[in-house]
Amino acid sequence: MIRFEQVGKRYANGHVGLHELSFRVRRGEFLFVTGHSGAGKSTLLRLLLAMERPTTGKLLLAGQDLATISNAQIPFLRRQIGVVFQNHQLLFDRTVFNNVALPLQILGLSKAEIVKRVDSALERVALSDKTDLFPGDLSTGQQQRVGIARAIVHRPALLLADEPTGNLDPRLAAEIMGVFEDINRLGTSVLIASHDLALIARMRHRMLTLQRGRLIGDGEAGV
Amino acid sequence: MSATRSPKVSERVAPKPADPQPPKKKRDEDDGPDFATLLHAWIESHRASLVDSLRRLGKQPIGSFFTCLVMAVALSLPMGLSLLLNNVERLGGSWQRAAQISLYLNLDASSKDGEALRDEIKNIPGVAEAEYISRDQALEEFQQQSGLGEALKELPQNPLPGVVLVTPNEVDKPALEALRQKLAEMPKVQQAQLDLVWVERLAAILKLGDRFVFGLTVLLVSALLLVIGNTIRLHIENRRTEIEVIKLVGGTDSYVRRPFLYMGALYGLGAGVLSWGVLAFGLDWLNDAVVGLAGLYGSDFALAGVPVADGLSLLLGAVLLGYIGAWIAVARHLRELAPK
Repeated sequence: MIRFEQVGKRYANGHVGLHELSFRVRRGEFLFVTGHSGAGKSTLLRLLLAMERPTTGKLLLAGQDLATISNAQIPFLRRQIGVVFQNHQLLFDRTVFNNVALPLQILGLSKAEIVKRVDSALERVALSDKTDLFPGDLSTGQQQRVGIARAIVHRPALLLADEPTGNLDPRLAAEIMGVFEDINRLGTSVLIASHDLALIARMRHRMLTLQRGRLIGDGEAGV
Repeated sequence: MSATRSPKVSERVAPKPADPQPPKKKRDEDDGPDFATLLHAWIESHRASLVDSLRRLGKQPIGSFFTCLVMAVALSLPMGLSLLLNNVERLGGSWQRAAQISLYLNLDASSKDGEALRDEIKNIPGVAEAEYISRDQALEEFQQQSGLGEALKELPQNPLPGVVLVTPNEVDKPALEALRQKLAEMPKVQQAQLDLVWVERLAAILKLGDRFVFGLTVLLVSALLLVIGNTIRLHIENRRTEIEVIKLVGGTDSYVRRPFLYMGALYGLGAGVLSWGVLAFGLDWLNDAVVGLAGLYGSDFALAGVPVADGLSLLLGAVLLGYIGAWIAVARHLRELAPK
């Protein structure tokens, strides 16, 4: 699914985001990437979303080399990925339904199909009764769940989440992680960048540990 | 890798031969959309972009109106000048007397000869009117106009020839020259004189006017592109987050660009309609004064309004300018809007 081969990322100002990172993620795997602030978690996610390109090495996502992918292909690559942000990145002038429907509208699905899939995604995150509300009417936890529904509504093969529980209390954080596990059980690969080690330890999934752009650990969390 | 699942294995296998009429394979709900669905979705996407753009313009009616008004003024100035020039050209066409051909007859040509010549000339194609002025009439007019009445009476004989004034159908220099040649070769004609000075002056003024209108059009179209570009830039800034999210969830540049292009075209349409209205009203308002002035010169000249074809061209041009302005603005700013 994902293959990092000696991937390095050096920025124009000389800062090195990643040092020769190598690891693989299998299809359907659940994986945490952890590390302190500045460890390279966000850089790793940005590379996977083709927001940046590696400066060295080879990064393959579903067989596509993200170092050489053309700009025109990037939107189509991103349609295979779902993204959940710490700050939700919801559109506050659109209803919950329209926020979740956005990836499907971009895919060009029919209205009926969009309604069906949005309903299904909102049901999965237990927000079926909130379709006509605006994000501003929801709690932080509910907003995060809307963000998750939007990330999974187009049935991506890979779900990326950047500190998805960063703003949530422990109970809500555990609830959100439960949603991710449900999604993973349906076959979607899940990669979560988080520094909440206590939460990660409880979940017992594979964990990559980064430090100053280097991979210093790869094993099951809590072991 | 695909965002959609493959058809189930059970659906891919052929039906059993024993089945008398195998049921048609039902499309898996997760199959990719077919062409008709994609086409419908594409149309739906355009419709949604158009409705969304209309909704956003409608949310700021005063701001949208003033943007359209500024564009309308920029469109009306060159278009209005061009319409006025067209009217002046039309007026020039009606001033055929400015291109009259004067036929000076031989001194021995009698009044009968002159009248016969006038009647003959009237039947020549390209001639609208012919008027004969006899030698006596010419002398009388000259005496009145020159103030030399007493002195002319001292002359032993009338020195002025009879004249036939020929008014052509249209003011076209080569055609007039050909007509002059033809008239000069007629019997009893000593000299045929074509006075094109006024025609040439008018043509020069119109040419200058055309150039001025062209220059003004280029200038104001540039200003209009800047106005629409700046307006669209503000819309883009207001929707920065939305654009970033759209790009992150797989929206292509054309998907991002679409609502702004519709918005530009709608601004253009609004400006075109306003401009047409302003010009129609303005010409109608001017017409009263023009009709009064023309009446003083014995003319029934009146300004023509905005011809429908010109109005439609104005609308189309305005929509295109709005579209192009928006396209330039979006192209410039789209690269800056990479997701952060």
